[in-house]
Amino acid sequence: MSDDGLLTEFTATIEFDTYEDIRAALFDPNLSRSFDKRSYEEGNIRSGIVSIAHGAVHRARRRVENTQFRADVLRLYERDLFPRVMNELLDVLIDRERVDLFPIGEMLSVVLAARRAGIEYDAASLDDLRTLVRHVDAFSQGSAILDAKDPDAVRALVRATYAEFERDFVRPAWATRAALIERARRGELSEEELPHDILTILLLHRDDPQMALEDDARIVREVATYLQGGTHTSAQTLVNALDLVFETGDEYPRTIDRIVSDTLFAQRVVQETLRLRPTTPKMKRRAEADTEVAGRKIPKDAVVVLDVVAANRDQRLFGADPERFDPDRTIDGSVQRWGLSFGGGPHQCPGRAVGGGFPVPADFSAEDDHVFGLVALELQAVARRGVRPDETAAPERDLRTARFTRWLHYPVRFTSLPGARPVEDDLRRALG
Amino acid sequence: MSAAQVTVDPDLCIGSAECVRILPSGFQIDESRGVSVPQPAVSAAVLELLADVVRSCPTGAVRVVDAQGNAL
Repeated sequence: MSDDGLLTEFTATIEFDTYEDIRAALFDPNLSRSFDKRSYEEGNIRSGIVSIAHGAVHRARRRVENTQFRADVLRLYERDLFPRVMNELLDVLIDRERVDLFPIGEMLSVVLAARRAGIEYDAASLDDLRTLVRHVDAFSQGSAILDAKDPDAVRALVRATYAEFERDFVRPAWATRAALIERARRGELSEEELPHDILTILLLHRDDPQMALEDDARIVREVATYLQGGTHTSAQTLVNALDLVFETGDEYPRTIDRIVSDTLFAQRVVQETLRLRPTTPKMKRRAEADTEVAGRKIPKDAVVVLDVVAANRDQRLFGADPERFDPDRTIDGSVQRWGLSFGGGPHQCPGRAVGGGFPVPADFSAEDDHVFGLVALELQAVARRGVRPDETAAPERDLRTARFTRWLHYPVRFTSLPGARPVEDDLRRALG
Repeated sequence: MSAAQVTVDPDLCIGSAECVRILPSGFQIDESRGVSVPQPAVSAAVLELLADVVRSCPTGAVRVVDAQGNAL
């Protein structure tokens, strides 16, 4: 370890690449995500956030924050709020035949991610949504700092973005929520009447010392974490799903037709995409103490690399042709169709069902209370609008990171366009 | 029917509610503590679903012992 708390030199580098071994590593309590033990002021832009918290603080935060991901909340978002917002937004954003799909995916996802995070923005303003997407892009670079090509530039960008985000989006929402919580504590409101979002529950529980939220800036960073997590993976998965569909060449129109007519198939496309294109292809863990995983001894301060791409292509679990994009593949019910792309163990992605939905039953049937996931609905919506590849423009990957599954631009064509409509009226009706 | 013994370690549980999703009659979240609590009906659940619960719990907090005394 370096003297200042940033772990840059390791006692060993140990890699796992099978499904079972990676799963065992993800469950090992001695392996953490804390590579940087410095404070925020000393340069750790992720200081204190749930994603890198460990042990009791992590458990306390997750117990509180997981309340925002209950099945009834997911159904409310998926069946009521999101279809309305999504279709109104798509009518506005797909305003010409050729468009860039990636920012559209970000705009769709950031609307509900902002609502869940608990920040306030002008519901009638595309500018506000675009600003939030810009912030998410900065926070996404911060969340991938272990794979950043220029970490110092990322740190500077993220610090500046936190300040802007706090001033413009968090503080106004904070003031509103603090006043409501005060009224609830005086008995003028029930807790049920308070907003249901991450910022509100953090403010409600910040006096619990186990939450380690005495510093206001930690709350800002936690809210930013949920905004980023709820936006970035969904937007990238939407684009990756279409990229995989288009890669099937002559087959793709038939696949698009199936997506249009069958939501459970659309969900399988999304989960197959997550398997083949995990947002974090190689997860990393740091040994907080000497430990042993799958018979291999791991010394304290070793870095453990988990090759999720390899594990997700294990022939024993995913069939003889695991490299192929096949949303209809048969997979044993004990394995998730997305493999290990949402991680596992205590740090498993809390929003996995938001984007990817509930596990698809092995017999491809869905109960009435099934959750399909927002990305499946987004995919179906763009398919219904006649999405096609744009042969005149090349997609552009995000080369600021070593993570190969990330895009910056993805040009597509649409064969079905809505008539010209007043943007502000549409958004006000959809979001207001 | 399993007649299984089912426990949730409240120190490990983080309230992900995977158990509630798989077996809604068998588990409930105690929202005051944010942890899962097994319900009386859980001991009658089929072992296949209980095995799914054990596998899906992200913290290994759920422990199931079948009628023969074997841990799932």
